[in-house]
Amino acid sequence: MTVDKQTEEKLIALLKQKINRQLLYYLDICARCAICRDACHQYVATKDVHYLPAYRAELIRRIYKKYFTRTGRIIPSLYEGKEITDDLLDELYKVTYACTGCRRCMFYCPFSIDTTWVLSVAKTILIAAGKGSPILTELADAAIEKGKNIDLFKGIMLDILKDTERKLQEKVGDPKATIPVEKEDSNLLYVALSGEHTILPAAIIFHQAKENWTLSLFEASNYGYFLGDTAKAKTIAQRIVDEAKRLKVKEVVVTECGHAHRVFKFFYESWAKEKYPFQVSSILEIIHRYLKEGRINLNSKYIKEPVTYHDPCQIGRNYGVFAEPRDIISQVSADFREMNPQREKNWCCGAGGGVVAQPDLDEFRIKTGELKVKQIRQTGAKIVVSPCENCRLQIETLNEKYNLGIRISSIMDLVAYSLLIPREQS
Amino acid sequence: MDWFSFLVAGVMVYLAVFVFITGMLYQIYRWLSVPKTNVRLGIFPKPKSKTARLLKLAKDSFIFPQAFEIDRKMWFFAILFHFALLAVFIGHLRLIQEFSFLFNILGNKGVERFAFISGGSMGIILTVALLYYFSRRFKSPYKDLSVPEDYLLLILLMLVVTMGNHMRFFGDVRVADYREYVHSLFVFKPAFNLGLSVSLSKYSLVAHVFFANLLFIYFPFSKLVHAIGTFAANLIRSE
Repeated sequence: MTVDKQTEEKLIALLKQKINRQLLYYLDICARCAICRDACHQYVATKDVHYLPAYRAELIRRIYKKYFTRTGRIIPSLYEGKEITDDLLDELYKVTYACTGCRRCMFYCPFSIDTTWVLSVAKTILIAAGKGSPILTELADAAIEKGKNIDLFKGIMLDILKDTERKLQEKVGDPKATIPVEKEDSNLLYVALSGEHTILPAAIIFHQAKENWTLSLFEASNYGYFLGDTAKAKTIAQRIVDEAKRLKVKEVVVTECGHAHRVFKFFYESWAKEKYPFQVSSILEIIHRYLKEGRINLNSKYIKEPVTYHDPCQIGRNYGVFAEPRDIISQVSADFREMNPQREKNWCCGAGGGVVAQPDLDEFRIKTGELKVKQIRQTGAKIVVSPCENCRLQIETLNEKYNLGIRISSIMDLVAYSLLIPREQS
Repeated sequence: MDWFSFLVAGVMVYLAVFVFITGMLYQIYRWLSVPKTNVRLGIFPKPKSKTARLLKLAKDSFIFPQAFEIDRKMWFFAILFHFALLAVFIGHLRLIQEFSFLFNILGNKGVERFAFISGGSMGIILTVALLYYFSRRFKSPYKDLSVPEDYLLLILLMLVVTMGNHMRFFGDVRVADYREYVHSLFVFKPAFNLGLSVSLSKYSLVAHVFFANLLFIYFPFSKLVHAIGTFAANLIRSE
């Protein structure tokens, strides 16, 4: 059924606003050659045409042809130009919120068409039609609420941090070690995730490197970005940008969280139409810097079991950090094995782009994770290291469902543990 | 020239050229009149220098090596098709002016033989590649992805190529006669000379030109704009 006239007009006006030159290229030049077929782990695992990257973008292209091109208006059937119907919106929902945004299809496309960029338009339309992902909306709104009532949350957070601080002091053997919060003029503002596991190892590393740092009150993850709601995504990220400005830090350091890397490095400045007065870096780049400057020294090759590294799409292909994590792992591991394929060609874990947060996609992400399972098995590794919470959660799930018998670790954990070994031994 | 030939191989040619050029200019204007997003959409690793970026652009646009890695068959036929297309384009330039350097080396007979072998093989390659493209559209998942535009373009291309092949393999007209026709177009007095008028090849020529006209008219409004769009889109890759 066609959506009512008013909704249709609203959606078309919105689509018009979202059109930019890159999008036009992508919509106009796709030859539907479907070379992207074997680039998408979801298509390869399901053989369902809905998950073919070109088909996902084609759904938007059909609307575009019908409403925005001369020939498409005159002869829509030539392009299967479509009016916006509820069925079309439902199909769009299926292909859009399942996409992990890994952009592996863009890598292989002869025209370098960025399917995620096209799907970001799909998300805008879905949200405006009241069909955005409910769970991602809920999570995004919760983050915005926290930003509004930070004083309420601060008390609880500081209480929990006291506990983490005690653990830090115990681990590093320094009763004066702290986890500073809201400390002005720090060198860097570290943006963690909710949960101690991303705070404690970083605090150990910063302590050992004698860094002048402070912890952000907010978590790096951005459900507004997954949802595809630019306004919400901006509000969520802005909490941290404002904090960094207020504290006059020199550098904002993003924890091991893939999409947050991209949000802060590539999206926020464009959303907010402003330039940062600080630098944005990955915690991986910071650790690597400490090692190069000799500010921390790792206990070399303390891991004897075979280790492999999973490049998170948003940190490798979409952010450009390939060498640093490999350097770090090779220093602590005696047996480092590469996955095949790896680096910019690595397969997505199967749960990025907010897929891991949508329970109705649980079965789907286990099924579409089979390529990752095959890759891990091929390496024979017992430890899989990956600097992205999303990837780690997915690989944990795969480990359980496919009986991989592996352990999963972050880079920070490897480093922090390595820094502590001499102390614990003595 | 009979009235039908005059319409198709005369008037319509001018129309096709006009629509093609203005259509492409319009398409480029359409693209450039919309602002770019300032989100950098490139993928890593990115080329470091400007020269490296241009080299990568050329490589990605002309050889698309990444596609070779995951779909060798399609890559092979795509390269074959586009190479042959370039070759026949160059070959057609002979209808404007004889390649004198080739003529000097090979002589009259040699040039004719060379043209027959190169033009003929390119025509066969185009046919084979188009047949592959076409058959691919009937298999899943390509079938579910395809829209009428895809078939229409393939059919048009196939008709143009078939008519070209017909002239090449079964024609009895010499190149000089075709050249005379092309020259007549340049001076806005479209005409077939006697040799062409009485030959059966006239019909394949008129059909060849007719389908080519349709192709050129539709070109700027179809996915064929990838012929120029590919450079813009592949450049974004390293932004």
